[in-house]
Amino acid sequence: MTNTEVFLQQMIIGLSNGMIIALIALGYTMVYGIIELINFAHGDLFMLGCFLALTILGALGIDAAYDPNSVSLAVLPLFIAVPAFCAIVNWSVDRFAYRPLRSAPRLAPLVSAIGVSFIFLNLGLFWGGLPMDVFNGGVAAAAPKDFPALVSRTNLLGESSNIIVRWNEVLVAMVTVPMMVGLSLIVRFTRIGKAMRAVAQNQTAARLMGIDVDRVIGATFLIGGALAGFASIVWASYNETIYFQMGFRVGMDAFTAAVLGGIGSLPGAVLGGVVIGIVRAMSEGYIAAEWTNVVVFTILVVVLTFRPSGLLGTPTREKV
Amino acid sequence: MAGGIRRAVIVHAGWFMLGIALLVPILDPLLPLEWKIAGHMNRIFIFAILGLGLNVVTGYTGLLNLGIAAFMAIGAYSYAILTCDIYPFRLGFWSAMPITICIGAIAGVVLGLPTIRLRGDYLAIVTLGFGEIVQDTLKNLDNITQGTQGINPLPAPTFWGHALNTQDKVAWYYLLLAFLALVVLVSRNLEHSRVGRSWIAIREDEIAATCMGVNPVKAKLVAFAMGAALASTSGGIYAALFSNSGEPGNYDFQISIIALCIVIIGGMGNISGVLLGAFVIGGFNSIVLDKLTTLLQQMGMVNTQNVLTVPGNWKYMIFGFALILAMRFKPEGLLPSRQLKAELHEAEEDERAENARGAA
Amino acid sequence: MTSLLSVDNVTIRFGGLTAVNEVDLNVERGQIFSVIGPNGAGKTTVFNVITGVYEPSCGCVRIDGRPGARPLSWRTAIGFGFIALTTAAGFAVALNIRELWDTAITANYVYQQAFPWAKSFSDALTHLRDQPWTWNILPLLTGALVGLGGSVAVWRRARCTPDVIACGGVARTFQNPRLFHQMTVLENVLVGMDTKLRSRFWHAALRLPFFYREYKHAQAKAMELLEFVELDDDASAPAASLSYGHQRRLEIARALASEPKLLLLDEPAAGMNPSESDDLLLLIRKIRDRGIAVMLIEHHMDLVMEVSDRIAVLDYGNKIAEGTPDEIQADPKVRKAYLGTDEL
Repeated sequence: MTNTEVFLQQMIIGLSNGMIIALIALGYTMVYGIIELINFAHGDLFMLGCFLALTILGALGIDAAYDPNSVSLAVLPLFIAVPAFCAIVNWSVDRFAYRPLRSAPRLAPLVSAIGVSFIFLNLGLFWGGLPMDVFNGGVAAAAPKDFPALVSRTNLLGESSNIIVRWNEVLVAMVTVPMMVGLSLIVRFTRIGKAMRAVAQNQTAARLMGIDVDRVIGATFLIGGALAGFASIVWASYNETIYFQMGFRVGMDAFTAAVLGGIGSLPGAVLGGVVIGIVRAMSEGYIAAEWTNVVVFTILVVVLTFRPSGLLGTPTREKV
Repeated sequence: MAGGIRRAVIVHAGWFMLGIALLVPILDPLLPLEWKIAGHMNRIFIFAILGLGLNVVTGYTGLLNLGIAAFMAIGAYSYAILTCDIYPFRLGFWSAMPITICIGAIAGVVLGLPTIRLRGDYLAIVTLGFGEIVQDTLKNLDNITQGTQGINPLPAPTFWGHALNTQDKVAWYYLLLAFLALVVLVSRNLEHSRVGRSWIAIREDEIAATCMGVNPVKAKLVAFAMGAALASTSGGIYAALFSNSGEPGNYDFQISIIALCIVIIGGMGNISGVLLGAFVIGGFNSIVLDKLTTLLQQMGMVNTQNVLTVPGNWKYMIFGFALILAMRFKPEGLLPSRQLKAELHEAEEDERAENARGAA
Repeated sequence: MTSLLSVDNVTIRFGGLTAVNEVDLNVERGQIFSVIGPNGAGKTTVFNVITGVYEPSCGCVRIDGRPGARPLSWRTAIGFGFIALTTAAGFAVALNIRELWDTAITANYVYQQAFPWAKSFSDALTHLRDQPWTWNILPLLTGALVGLGGSVAVWRRARCTPDVIACGGVARTFQNPRLFHQMTVLENVLVGMDTKLRSRFWHAALRLPFFYREYKHAQAKAMELLEFVELDDDASAPAASLSYGHQRRLEIARALASEPKLLLLDEPAAGMNPSESDDLLLLIRKIRDRGIAVMLIEHHMDLVMEVSDRIAVLDYGNKIAEGTPDEIQADPKVRKAYLGTDEL
């Protein structure tokens, strides 16, 4: 492989992973924008989405031995069931763990979120112990699980090409780009989107204007959860392995992306996600995989030193 | 009258606890084997020191630090490298410990300098990331840190020529208790000083504090350095106690979260609260789960093939529910700081005074 | 002789909105200077600029002829250099750490033998020298650039903080009292005294005698200030438990604790009944008699006209008039701003 080819290949991998990270980062940034809460459980929600996806596939009889070339519509239910599940779980978490704490000290909901994340983590561990073939009969619950490829593994650029672009990359683009566009349209033009922006700016004022703040926050959690659900399917299909601690790993990448782009800013989250994805891929390609986290973190610190509100964040001015 | 006695107990609770703590090793041999706790207490003391370190940063100054375990790791590895005889330094416990503490403080400042003016939540991600990369770095530099093996064995600390082996449970117990007492004393001294007041003022209202002439950068840096130094101390003692630096994975995010839970569930910014939190959470983590596993194993109810039957697997579930319920019903912690408590009880007292006036 | 406070041509824009437009103000020593104007005229913003909470978009604020920003001292400059060198060295060492450790430490150490430190050091240098030059120069250069740029960037952000101005002798209260609610009344005043205290970390941590001496002194002074604002009975109560009027007076005591030359009061009489505001008038005079200049934002015109030596009027961010109370009362532009018409 020539240098250019290595670069392009890493770029493709980075861009794909980055788009998925961006999708998760959007969930972080939306919730943060509206109630200033780092929703720690978001990464683990994403993990639960992956486990549900694998369970459904197992129930449909699709496992690692399944031939992805026979593209089947059987995987379509995934794209309905998993986002719906994640959205409902995320909404219930807000309803039962965060909503009672709206007026509590600032750290209270954050600690609650950490608690939820722990419960999800534990559920993920138990889920891996389900006696199903896709979970190896549930014997080694904590071990990583193989995720079957949902789409054909053939190289779209032809078998002789050194650069590999699979249907998976197309799948990622087909899922993530419409999601982002749709989200920005919702936020910009719909009633609920306007209400969200209003609540994010000033909750009290929004309430006085007759906006049902709790409903708007609930809707934010629903949308963020659904995004995490879509992200979990494409992530699992792209990386072909899932494990119960992945919520923390991937969640941290997404959270870093949200902060790098400027937390609270939707375009920032997308930019941050893509940057993180590309930096990770480049670091894996040119430095060494085991130093990737160090590289990502160093870049984050350097960026924040020069731009303390992130790449696209606006500096906030506290009212005195 | 009864109120007076109750108050006396509360006021002197610290001394009572200290008395009980001093008696534990003496009483422990009398307990049946399943109920011995002295060995587990060591771990709790270390967690208490870690918690007090985090208390300075998060409790007093209000900076959310999610990577305190990294400073513990830095302490443990610094101590191990300084003392272990496969390295050229070969210092003793008493000379290695101050250096370990200084290294921790410097690490705190290095992390703090570029990030100290960031908004709270940005600091959280930076500290979280720092926690991860310290682990990664320790794992990757395996020619220096022995990678995932950990550095061991470490020489036993010597007391006037008497070597303190891992088996000297009682002596270790008192050494750790002395360290903890020292840390408590220094924390308390700082809390009621210019430094401590500026920390709390920044937590309460940063703009007002700076308008009063408190330099926020300096105060936060000192808090960061102090927290890191205490965490580093706990790491150094941990390594000395187990004669092993532990592997990098021992200092993961879970440890940072346990420390955070200790501070928040115990009572932010309150030393006795943190001690109580360390006892409750550390106790649950290392005593209750341990005993429960032994008990269930004896009853033959543990099947390693079934993930649900191993009590240790339920740990995070229980932790998670504990955190959520604690925040729901006691967000200020078990023992809120003295000022917060006073504030909460002020209303009651007003009411009582009102009633008294009405009666008169 | 320069004015105690001079605000020269200060403009502040928030995005597209000009909150304060080319305002000039001069406050002399011992003066009571009021700033009045309709709501939203930019009065509090002016206060925020004077105390350094906001940075002016253009123009400058001088206290005793000195600008409010932290000056670039030699110590800071040397600090930058030090940080740049450390990051440069840090980058260079970090990139080579594995090989450096192998060549300098592992290769030289014989199990439990004395360690040749000098040889180890020279081996390390030799190893660095033997690297291809790009491998040495690039990290050094990047490190130095990041270190220097980063420290300058952080310093620039940190140079115009309110504490510099507070140390220069300006203290303030806030429109809505911003006390440290979880601290006691006495501790609130002690925080205000921070700039005057000299005890350091070690004094407090080890409780050295100096700590006790200073603490005793500071406490006595704080009590004296609490007596001055008649709050000495509540010294050990939590600040949050005070009534609104008392909170305002505690804020004044806290501000006075830093021994300011200029005290800024932002609507001190808001929400006060007539007798309380009479007390306040006396208090402001007493403060002036201590030799402290007072700058006042207030809507109670009786109070303003009675107490002020000079008054400036702001409207839509512009200064429309300045003068003695009598001049202001006679000014048609002021009437227009307040009443929307110049006819009475």
